[in-house]
Amino acid sequence: MEKIKKLILSIVPDAVAEEAQYPTFTVDASKIRSVAEKLKEKGFDYLICLTGMDYGDSLGCIYHISSSTDKTSVIVLKTSTSDRQNPAIPSVHDIWASANLYEREVYDFFGITFIDHPDMRRLFLRQDWNGYPFRKDYDANPELNPVPMENQTIAEMENMPSITLKSDGTVIKKENALFEKGDYVVNIGPQHPATHGVLHLRVSLDGEIIKKVDPNFGYIHRGIEKMCESMTYPQMLHLTDRLDYLSGTMNRHAMCLCVEKAMGLEVPQRAQYVRCIFDELTRIASHLLGWGCMCMDMGSITAFIYGMRDREKIMDIFEETGGGRLMVNYSVIGGLAEDVHPNFVNRVKEFIPYMRKMIKEYHILFTGNPIAKGRMKDIGFLSKETAVSLGVTGPSGRASGFACDVRKIEPYAAYDKVQFEEVIREKGGTFDRYIIRLDEIEQSLRIIEQLIDKLPDDGFRAKVPAIIKLPAGEYYQRVENARGDFGVYIKSDGGKNPYRVKFRSPCMTLISALDPLCQKEKIADLIMIGASLDYVIPCADR
Amino acid sequence: MINYIKDLVSGIWALLQGMYITMLNFCRPKITEQYPENRGKKVMFERFRGELVMEHNENNEHKCSGCGICQMNCPNNTIKIITKQVTLEDGKTKKVLDQYLYDIGSCTFCSLCTQSCPQKAISWTTNFEHAVFTRSKLVKQLNKPGSKVAEKKAPAAAKAEGAN
Amino acid sequence: MLELIGIRDWIHNSLTELISEDCSWVVSLIEYVLIGVAFLAVYAVLALILIYVERKVCAFFQCRLGPNRVGPWGLMQSIADMFKILLKEIIRINNTDQFLFKVAPFIVLVGSFCTFGALHFAKGIHGVDFNVGIFYILAISSLGVVGILLAGWASNNKYTLIGAMRCGAQLVSYELSAGLSLLTMVMLAGSMQLSEIINVQEKSWLLFQAPIPALIAFVIYLIAGHAETNRGPFDLPEAESELTAGYHTEYSGIQFGFFYLAEYLNMFIIAAIAATVFLGGWQPLQINAEWAEDFNNVMNYIPTWLWFFGKTFALVFLSLWVRWTFPRLRIDQLLKLEWKILMPISLFNMLLMAVWIIWIK
Repeated sequence: MEKIKKLILSIVPDAVAEEAQYPTFTVDASKIRSVAEKLKEKGFDYLICLTGMDYGDSLGCIYHISSSTDKTSVIVLKTSTSDRQNPAIPSVHDIWASANLYEREVYDFFGITFIDHPDMRRLFLRQDWNGYPFRKDYDANPELNPVPMENQTIAEMENMPSITLKSDGTVIKKENALFEKGDYVVNIGPQHPATHGVLHLRVSLDGEIIKKVDPNFGYIHRGIEKMCESMTYPQMLHLTDRLDYLSGTMNRHAMCLCVEKAMGLEVPQRAQYVRCIFDELTRIASHLLGWGCMCMDMGSITAFIYGMRDREKIMDIFEETGGGRLMVNYSVIGGLAEDVHPNFVNRVKEFIPYMRKMIKEYHILFTGNPIAKGRMKDIGFLSKETAVSLGVTGPSGRASGFACDVRKIEPYAAYDKVQFEEVIREKGGTFDRYIIRLDEIEQSLRIIEQLIDKLPDDGFRAKVPAIIKLPAGEYYQRVENARGDFGVYIKSDGGKNPYRVKFRSPCMTLISALDPLCQKEKIADLIMIGASLDYVIPCADR
Repeated sequence: MINYIKDLVSGIWALLQGMYITMLNFCRPKITEQYPENRGKKVMFERFRGELVMEHNENNEHKCSGCGICQMNCPNNTIKIITKQVTLEDGKTKKVLDQYLYDIGSCTFCSLCTQSCPQKAISWTTNFEHAVFTRSKLVKQLNKPGSKVAEKKAPAAAKAEGAN
Repeated sequence: MLELIGIRDWIHNSLTELISEDCSWVVSLIEYVLIGVAFLAVYAVLALILIYVERKVCAFFQCRLGPNRVGPWGLMQSIADMFKILLKEIIRINNTDQFLFKVAPFIVLVGSFCTFGALHFAKGIHGVDFNVGIFYILAISSLGVVGILLAGWASNNKYTLIGAMRCGAQLVSYELSAGLSLLTMVMLAGSMQLSEIINVQEKSWLLFQAPIPALIAFVIYLIAGHAETNRGPFDLPEAESELTAGYHTEYSGIQFGFFYLAEYLNMFIIAAIAATVFLGGWQPLQINAEWAEDFNNVMNYIPTWLWFFGKTFALVFLSLWVRWTFPRLRIDQLLKLEWKILMPISLFNMLLMAVWIIWIK
């Protein structure tokens, strides 16, 4: 870390270094690009998260950066600009490809323009939205943004404004066309059976061959991060389940861990074990659904129903202990809402051999099928470099050889007490992304098997104060959810409400991988590749 | 040529195996829940969060003191507590619960109300049949008409009950 | 005694008795109308039965119960659906070629109905019996593709157009191996007339007369026929996860119902032709040996229409089984399967059949 500090200070002598949870450096906006380039050279090739921030007097960005080789080192860069009228920060989208969407998001919420970014459209809100909602002085008056009652074309989506800053200080504003003239553009979604939610893909085609995919977000944007700013910490928890609803337990776990870490709260071992078991059960349920949806998108509806049938067993376990099926609401700050149900251990133990038997059937039914093999082989290859640069994590990233399992990098809860393999494949094709989910189910079963017999007996919930206040500061917690690296960023000003909350969504980066993956493939493969990435739209839209 | 035939045969064999699996499932017992038929017979899991209720004892008494902690904790303004002032026999005035309104239409079943209730006056039932024809019917009054607050028991007795 | 031929003869005899011989054209006219009505009724009823069977079988493959609300075991479900589809509004789409848009479902339906008319349902029960029956069936069943192409074009929708183009490519290709495998069997039977083909199979079915080439032809015909019905792993034209509903995306009400009807009936027709050409049509199962005489008698006792429908529905079940097991092919795999696997094999198989006929038979 000292080396990094020296490196950054050599480029920007007036950088402010802090020792927080991660080493933090504050640099001037004009220097951010040179620092970023140097860091990329030193191996920091994975931009975990880019958070916009309104400091009151200035607007800024926070970059969480890590490396695909030295995975445990995470550094935080901060920059800000005091110009609230026309804030502009140099773009880093060509250094880390994942910054492309992140910067659009920051532009959408804070109005910060990123210089040299080729596509400064709003990401979630309508293009004609007035105001920037995450600024603290935002006027939420509904009359400013009335609900339009007339049909509108989406032509306004087709021009991508961008700003370039010449070396002599002149600003050039340009509008780039999204599609070439005469392209055959097919709208897939927002209401389409294969987009797994309300995602809108604009696809330009040459016959059946895809030329370009432009994902269009925001159809299920609920402003969860904004809502969190007016809620207390226990109230925020119920919104985490509604991000990626298929790994709600893990998202909630992340939020609990983040708040507990900030409070310095010691959680009982039993609660940590049970949380792990719940996480892994959720992962199995999510992968079963992902597997089933992939089969269904290939036309094998029967396999989908088999996946749902076996997922139902997990749902029953959740319902019996947690009281809910999809929104289990089981982890709370300090531990668990209730102790596990007396039947819980037996049910889980019955489930493990059943699931193993079923996975064998899945392999015979679908993996071995020559039609399925023929459709999945040789399409949608994602190289490791692209995966790291785009921030594609989770099973999809590991299929490309990017070892990004947070359970191994930063073990939380009881993951340092269990043996399991991080399943990694090299080729990064659609078939790898398919098979890796079934392999991960086996690893999850292994984890559950190791934990279920050893539940400690030290209570299920620590004592927490009735009103939870976090000490002022910034907290970041990463968790491996079913789709990748999920992160919660909380900035607290010492009150009972957070100052800013940001969720690092693995699904948004997965969707950004659609365009590079689908080019030169067929339209039928778009559906396949989308299914193999297994994104959940509410997680991306938040 | 040999590879061509090999691929063909192994492909057909794999297809047949897949058909064997579906036939296996054709013969297995079916998993469909026969819902309206098994109505009443189907037992939900006891912890299932179906609907918020306020327990009343045989004298039509509940435990809610109308303190409003649940209303404060609710993230979606699902709960609305309307209190009234009553004059007791000894001349003092006291704030008691008049109406406990619960809008199941905006409830996300996060359990913050039941967890935070100091009197343990509200709890979940497993009723899941919430379909109604208008939204206004989704707003329910949890305290029964004419009900009143149960008399406080001796602290020791209350503690013993809390432990249960 | 359970034979339908008795009813046919009784109607004919009573009509000729009632009407004087001078007006024999009246008899013919009445008979034509009766036959037409009967075919239409059977066509519609079969579609209802097939829809019910499909839904039930599909559900059982998927560990579900399937329709079970309307009537006992959901038997009335497809009738309820029929009424629903009849009552639905036919939505008029702007900016479409109205004439082609309206005529397309009829062409599809007419294509499948004309093929239906050439089938032999039982001894003496059939509409027409051309001396080029197989040829006629192959020709007229290809009419459907015109309707599908028109539907895709006239809807003025990108999904439907892609679906229709896929469908055109698929049907034209698979027509080839279906035709070739039927031709192989024509070589063995020595006739193109369906009644003749059925008569040849009186002692033993064609499938058993030349086991190896006939079996290959049978399997190829089932695959190609399955592909021609746009179902199962070959449902690219309406691939719902890609093209929402393919060529009939924009259709509603009874216009959609026509497509639906034709699809299910095509499944039946393909199975019926396979049963006729390979499995002896309405001919009962016979074992050509002395010890099996009792067995043959028992088989002969079963009415011929039951044989025909039994065989056909067995093949329909097979088709459903395949459909609900396999994932969908991609367009290039689909064409590869036809041109690189099925076509060469059926050509080779034709040669094999010729050798078989000359040397072994």
